[in-house]
Amino acid sequence: MIGFLHPWALLGLGAAAIPILLHLLARREPPTVVFPAVRYLITTTQEHRRRLKLQNLLLLLVRTLLVIVLVLAAAGPQVPLSGVPGHAPSALVLVVDNSPSSATVDGGSARLGHLVAAGREVLERATPNDALWLLTADGVPLRGDVGQLGDQLRELQVSARRMDLGEALRLAGEVLGTQARPGEIVLLTDLQASAVSAAEVAVPLVVGRPSAPPPPNAGISLLDTGAQPWSGEGGRVVVALAGDSGTAVPVSARIGDRGARQALAHVGGAATIMLPAVSPGWWTVEAELAADELRLDDRRVGAVRVAPVARLGWDSTSRFVATAAGVLEANRRIVRGAEVSFGTLAQGTSIVSPPADAAEVGALNRALAARGVAWGYGALTLDPAFTDSGPVVGRTRVMRRYRLQPSGSGRTGVLATVAGDPWLVRSGDVLLLGSRLDPEWTDLPVSTDFMPFMDLLVNRLARGEVTLADGAPGDPVPLPDQVTRVRQGEREWPVEGGGFFRPPDLGAYYLLVADDTVGAIAANVDPRESLLAPAPDDQVRQLWQEARVVEPAEAGDLVFSAGALGDLRGPLLWAALGLFLLELVLATLWRRVR
Amino acid sequence: MSRSAASASGARLDLLDPLEVSRLGGLEVVTEGVVEGFLTGLHRSPRRGFSVEFAEHRMYQPGDDLRYVDWKILGRNDRLYVKQFEEETNLRAMMVLDISRSMAWTGAPDRVLPKLAYAQRLIAALSLVLLRQRDATGLIAFDDEVRAVLPPRALLSHWRQFIQTLAALSAGSGTAAEPALRRVVEQLRRRGLVVFVSDLLLDRTLALKALRFLRHRGHQVVVLHILDPAELTLAGPAEARFEDPETRAAVVLRPRDWAGAYRETVQHVVGEWRLACRRHGIHYHKVTTDTPYGLVLRETLAQGSRTG
Repeated sequence: MIGFLHPWALLGLGAAAIPILLHLLARREPPTVVFPAVRYLITTTQEHRRRLKLQNLLLLLVRTLLVIVLVLAAAGPQVPLSGVPGHAPSALVLVVDNSPSSATVDGGSARLGHLVAAGREVLERATPNDALWLLTADGVPLRGDVGQLGDQLRELQVSARRMDLGEALRLAGEVLGTQARPGEIVLLTDLQASAVSAAEVAVPLVVGRPSAPPPPNAGISLLDTGAQPWSGEGGRVVVALAGDSGTAVPVSARIGDRGARQALAHVGGAATIMLPAVSPGWWTVEAELAADELRLDDRRVGAVRVAPVARLGWDSTSRFVATAAGVLEANRRIVRGAEVSFGTLAQGTSIVSPPADAAEVGALNRALAARGVAWGYGALTLDPAFTDSGPVVGRTRVMRRYRLQPSGSGRTGVLATVAGDPWLVRSGDVLLLGSRLDPEWTDLPVSTDFMPFMDLLVNRLARGEVTLADGAPGDPVPLPDQVTRVRQGEREWPVEGGGFFRPPDLGAYYLLVADDTVGAIAANVDPRESLLAPAPDDQVRQLWQEARVVEPAEAGDLVFSAGALGDLRGPLLWAALGLFLLELVLATLWRRVR
Repeated sequence: MSRSAASASGARLDLLDPLEVSRLGGLEVVTEGVVEGFLTGLHRSPRRGFSVEFAEHRMYQPGDDLRYVDWKILGRNDRLYVKQFEEETNLRAMMVLDISRSMAWTGAPDRVLPKLAYAQRLIAALSLVLLRQRDATGLIAFDDEVRAVLPPRALLSHWRQFIQTLAALSAGSGTAAEPALRRVVEQLRRRGLVVFVSDLLLDRTLALKALRFLRHRGHQVVVLHILDPAELTLAGPAEARFEDPETRAAVVLRPRDWAGAYRETVQHVVGEWRLACRRHGIHYHKVTTDTPYGLVLRETLAQGSRTG
């Protein structure tokens, strides 16, 4: 936006009307002169009037412009210009992409080093009057002066957290939105295509990205530890690879401190690796690739619960439950026993489904209450609805269900819901299902989700264990209600059950209820970080309209363009001189011609 | 001013500034002064003939007409002499004067005579010269119609009537030269001289047509294009409304902007008149009202002498 050193001088723009006024005043009724040779005048003017009119208009225009230019010069206009020394106080958000992909070694050093160097050059252009922020993958804008942010940059490490560049720009825009001074954003990034998303950028944006193509990369995108818990006979993991390396790479996996098992896998493919039997408990599984230019995605961790399979007793009158139990038994996922009772309320751990006869609900509720279960069955609902997709069960239609009602205050222990209503809950060692596992009540028994659901239900949920969660560092991971602490090695974080936990680093985190481990979170690099292919510059300009895409080292030359001011007085005075000379030449020339 | 006064001053009035000359006296007196001055600069015609005014005697030669033998000298000296008379002129001239309103204009009243006043004095002088040469001189004055007609006479007594008629003329309204020029045919039955005095702010096509007609009848035609010096170059206030005194046509302009183009236009108009006249054997003279009469008389009478 244009600014003026002496805005009051703009009042002089009224003087621009002087030539026009003079022109109009001169057009008033002139004196009459008797002149016999008027016919000669008429002949003369007929031939030249149009040309003279144009000449007069041009002269009027030139003179008016001359006045305007002189007044503007007196007002001292200053306009934002790039490449000029000095700038007006500005607001700058320096976004440095230190996501895992920035650890890619390129030319003997990590790309983050180049980005940090470029970021320091940008900061060197700042003045004490500028408002500066540094935004990295942790997503927290850090305000400081040149020295403070320079120190931050110097100590900046590669983060395990992914950085969504569109999200980062939106956040930077919000920060600048609070500032009255001209703002701009400098984004220094490897510009992964997988990190680029649309964003409305209302301020000048300089994107510094290396134009050299990234090196080939292979990374582990998935470590699937399969159904839990593992039996004492060991288990198998599936390791999937992502990236752009075409060659087969060796993959190794290990559980705990046992020896690693190896296999070959291609990018885009997966390898299955059998792991040896271990004692019951929680185990960390690691998968690893041979080192390449990006190390962070070459290792992935998971958590495995090793325990004896559930000893289940079930109601054989429920045809679908009985069939599923038979299949689980045949696959050695359960054994017949009395540890867990499926269908009715028993002395031990019980998975209770509502009775077929509604008249028995009252007695069941009384028995639940006598057992100290905090939930009971409410009214029968016949409106078809769907389960809310979650870790326990996917989206499945439910035609009939009892509303599960908490008997006390609060409603803890909800494991699955239908249209927001509790459908599967746990209280102590009792799980309540809102519907019978029968096709008249729900489609679940006839869906492919039924067997995993049953396995989960009897082997983990009924035993007080939660779903193993995957997440990237920094991403919020929902916690079960009862969890009070999260532990990783020697580190512990007190948490509130039902809330969220953001893993700060890579690795496996265990969820504790009192001293019992009830679940785990595997925090790994986002698999999209393995895709190093950069977004094309055209796509970037299309997504971020104000973006200027340059090499990182050139970003410093373009920074503060929004606040850089060019003094227009010199050019305006030269323009005025030019107009004056033009007026002189035109007036003299035309006078001679006439 | 009297003739003696002019002589006493030793100045030739025909070469003085016309405005100064006009301040010396009335039309008749001033004209005589101008003509006197003019004639002193000329040699008399060497041609002698048997006209009505005796010039000199010469020895009789065989073949001479016996009617012109001076019998008195024969009686006294017994020698044969014949009388020789000044050649009788056969030139008949008609002055055609434009007295339209535009002729009454002067661009500088204190320095330059109005065109009509200048033309009146010029015609008077021209006529007096012709009359003194025994040439018959007549006058036709016109504006938008013929206002005065004085048939050509060669008598000196005609001079007074001529000058009275001329002095009585005043500026009329519009300009229509063709009827006046056609009236000349009625007045000049033999070949003669027609002097057309006008500022030529008229219909050029019609005027040229009438002038060509006169040429066709064998008359020598002289056009004196009277121009005020202020008509040659455009001047005036920064912006003015210029109005034609005859047609009231007007145009608003800034003289400074148009001076150059106007000068070119006037030169073009004069050039066109000159070219058109030359093409038809008409003698054209551009006469500005600050030109001494003598210069104009010399030019004009040169045409007349060639005619005679």
